[in-house]
Amino acid sequence: MNKLGLIIAREYMSIVGRKSFIVMTLGMPLLFIIIMAVPIGLAYLNDKGSDTQQIAVIDETGRYASALHSDDMYNFVAINGDTVANAREFYNKANGSLDAIVIIPHNVDSTGAVNIYSEGTITPALVMTVRNALTDTIETAHLAELGIPNLQQMVDKAHVNVDVRSIKWSEAGEQESSTDAAMGLGFMLSFITYMFVLMYGAMIMNSVIEEKTNRIVEVVVSSCRPFQLMLGKIIGVGLVGLTQMAIWIVMLAVVGMVAGSAFGISNVSPDVVSPEALASAKDMGAIESIMRQTLSINYTPIIISFVLYFIGGYLLYSSLFAGFSSAVDQPSDASQFTTPIILIMVIAVYAGIACMNNPTGPTAVWCSMIPFTSPVVMMVRIPFGVPTWQLVLSLALLIGTALLITWFAARIYRRGILHYGQKASFKDLFKWIK
Amino acid sequence: MAYLDINNVVKRYEGHTALAGVSMQVEQGTIYGLLGPNGAGKSTLIRIINRILAADEGTVTLNGKQMTDDDITHIGYLPEERGLYKKMKVGDHIVYLGRLKGMTKADAVASMHWWLDRFDLKEWENKKVENLSKGMQQKVQFIGTVIHRPPLLIFDEPFSGFDPVNAEQLKVEILALRDQGSTILFSTHNMASVEEVCQQITLLNHAQVVLTGSVDEVKQQHKKNIIAVQTPDTIESNPDLFTILPPDPVKKQDTYIKLAQGVQVRDAINWLNEHYRLTGFTEVLPSMNEIFIETVKSKNAENNE
Repeated sequence: MNKLGLIIAREYMSIVGRKSFIVMTLGMPLLFIIIMAVPIGLAYLNDKGSDTQQIAVIDETGRYASALHSDDMYNFVAINGDTVANAREFYNKANGSLDAIVIIPHNVDSTGAVNIYSEGTITPALVMTVRNALTDTIETAHLAELGIPNLQQMVDKAHVNVDVRSIKWSEAGEQESSTDAAMGLGFMLSFITYMFVLMYGAMIMNSVIEEKTNRIVEVVVSSCRPFQLMLGKIIGVGLVGLTQMAIWIVMLAVVGMVAGSAFGISNVSPDVVSPEALASAKDMGAIESIMRQTLSINYTPIIISFVLYFIGGYLLYSSLFAGFSSAVDQPSDASQFTTPIILIMVIAVYAGIACMNNPTGPTAVWCSMIPFTSPVVMMVRIPFGVPTWQLVLSLALLIGTALLITWFAARIYRRGILHYGQKASFKDLFKWIK
Repeated sequence: MAYLDINNVVKRYEGHTALAGVSMQVEQGTIYGLLGPNGAGKSTLIRIINRILAADEGTVTLNGKQMTDDDITHIGYLPEERGLYKKMKVGDHIVYLGRLKGMTKADAVASMHWWLDRFDLKEWENKKVENLSKGMQQKVQFIGTVIHRPPLLIFDEPFSGFDPVNAEQLKVEILALRDQGSTILFSTHNMASVEEVCQQITLLNHAQVVLTGSVDEVKQQHKKNIIAVQTPDTIESNPDLFTILPPDPVKKQDTYIKLAQGVQVRDAINWLNEHYRLTGFTEVLPSMNEIFIETVKSKNAENNE
């Protein structure tokens, strides 16, 4: 094995073999689940913990009170005979055992307005429950009043969600392009690049500084070129990143399959379908349509360019991280050099977001040419289709700049790793490049 | 022809010159002392030999050939500021260093076992470096330096961080390596160890060679014609032959005499033998420590003028 291979292998094993890597790799998705599950769980506990509210319903029409069903949270009690005028008196007489009074006025059919009265707080959840229950019921009642047979079915049939399909004329003829899925995919890919560069750039930084502080670096560079050491680090950490991503993708796939089969069971037993399951089934339908759109995207060019932009972007930024971090003794000193890098990355992501709605605008085109932003911005554009010359030019600029930056970084690195004590400034770094 | 020939090497940094035309010749199979105060340019010269830095001018030849990057596999280098990967296992670490120097995996593993055995570190092979004591880490570092049996070894302050027992063991190993034909460049402030192990020395000061030669030659050049005389009698001064020096605070029983200009040791001893009951005498040669301090001080005084 040559020296570069040895260095890559050591770098890779030194991170992957660490307990913190295993904890991190398995713990991150868990952390995400916890972050998402905690608010839901807390809301559930909040609802569950509160007492059932007693709600009186004064229905002047006498037709709609039955639409409000009592459950764990609300106990709706229809009051007959009482009128709007003495509702307050009734409330006071209840002496606190009543939480609110819902008044359905006699003219609700024409106004569509319902009032809730209380001396206490009227929760948004109560308002929503009442609104949802009455809207459907009153609407159905109105249709029924018209006395036209099968009107409900006719209305359902007439109901439409306009599905706008965008079709692209290309040499191959008409091709359905799916903007939603393309947008999502583009943004996801550019975000992956961004996250990857930031996470593993920091890892490279720590590795460089660690070698410097424990003073092994002079022994190592007496056995190989500093450039080999730097490149070995960049590649080794890059492989660590790919390993971590691969593990996460597998975990995601397993969770997806488990969740999928769970939904599958609820779909095949319609007699136990609850409203919640129905709602999620609707969501599933939406997901399915996005999935169908997603499948219609031509993946080959996207994947090839993603790989190229990913490599170019990673090389560019990670060599900046390696070069800069070689000039400092402790991670805390590195911020003067890393802050500009992170700033540029953040700008790139904002440019990417700005370009999503208009992927052929001037900002989009320029930012997809500039090497520091192109790995993020071009990934947003590619699913919409990019002229070949732009793609080639942008890639050439990116790869060229990445190699140039790597060369600069190597010059800084070979001086930086043997530089101790006095903190280096940007001016020093320029001197070292010369 | 010298094994390692450094010829007129110049290295400049922004604002100062680290080496202003340094030359030295290291013979094969010898231990060569590279001495000098802090900042004299020793580390820079060592890094140039290791090809970590490039010289601005001058040449470095190894075994008669201009050095190239491939020659670094023929060098074992123990820097002054040294360390190891704390999280690596001792055995893996040594093998890694050996393979970086171009050994095959099998060779590196065999050599690692041999050396660990020799330093009584066998049971530590699968322990992490961070679990070792500082002295043991230094031994591991030493093994990492010599594992590929390089013909040229460069030790920068090898004894720092060793207790006397381990330092002695290290010295024995270094002498053994020399006897097996390795050429050793030895940079240190520890003048006692220079006298014990080095045949040749070069003293650098302010980027220049100020003193060079064999340890014996250098001592002869710097001797002050002082003789320690052992006698029960009290010697009186004899201005034609010698003057009496104040007694050494440690060896109080000896009388120190300084010979007058041009007087031979034999003449002075003959005269003393006639007049006093001599029981013994020794010519006092300066220690390398004295020579070092004297030379550096006088050169600095010259520079300041």
